[in-house]
Amino acid sequence: MVHALREACRVLKGDGLLIDLRPAPVHRHVGISENGTYVKVGVMREFLSDDRSANGAVAEMINSRRLRLKMRTRFECIRTMDQLSDFKARLDELVQLGKGSSHDWLLRRMKETLASRASDQRSRRRKIIMRGPMDLRVLIKTE
Amino acid sequence: MAYRIDPEKNEIKALKQVTNWRNKRVLEIGCGNGRLTRRLARLGAHIHAIDPNADLIKRAREALPNSYASRIRFNVGKSTKLSHPNEVFDVVLFAWSL
Repeated sequence: MVHALREACRVLKGDGLLIDLRPAPVHRHVGISENGTYVKVGVMREFLSDDRSANGAVAEMINSRRLRLKMRTRFECIRTMDQLSDFKARLDELVQLGKGSSHDWLLRRMKETLASRASDQRSRRRKIIMRGPMDLRVLIKTE
Repeated sequence: MAYRIDPEKNEIKALKQVTNWRNKRVLEIGCGNGRLTRRLARLGAHIHAIDPNADLIKRAREALPNSYASRIRFNVGKSTKLSHPNEVFDVVLFAWSL
């Protein structure tokens, strides 16, 4: 990661901006949004070690005075899925990328929650929601 | 659409606060299918977008509107070995990729 940051600094003009935008190292909440209401179904258990390593790499670049932190902010970001199969694909991707273990328990819980709500009311506006904060860091090249 | 990231467009709202993107030369690392690239181009940036995944780059090229074709270039590439000369970009954006 430090090597990637050094490469980025190499191609940046003097005083150029390096922007690091990525999901904050916290576990995402998963739920269902329907007719303006949100029902939480569970909290994911992703592996966060890569994110912490990335934070360490950025800190190392700041400490070595190659980059200076100009600003940082955190904001909400959601991902929406129409179908249970879309949700399953995201969970499978997490395992494939080595960013989490199996979330079959969460898939099962989502399936049950969807089934229980379907008996009450059917809505085409229902979405599966994955939500969590994003971190945005803006750094200035200093060398 | 079955799967959407950031339908509320909070990412681009936050990025708009960072700088004036008009005519900025931008390297986007980890562009994926070009979702954020197209939004940055709409702000006036000129973007070279790279991703190590050739399938995603193919999809990004297919989804590229003609109106942005002169402002966006997609290539397969890795952050650790950039092919560019020194000091050519105003902004380097790591998009979900560091």
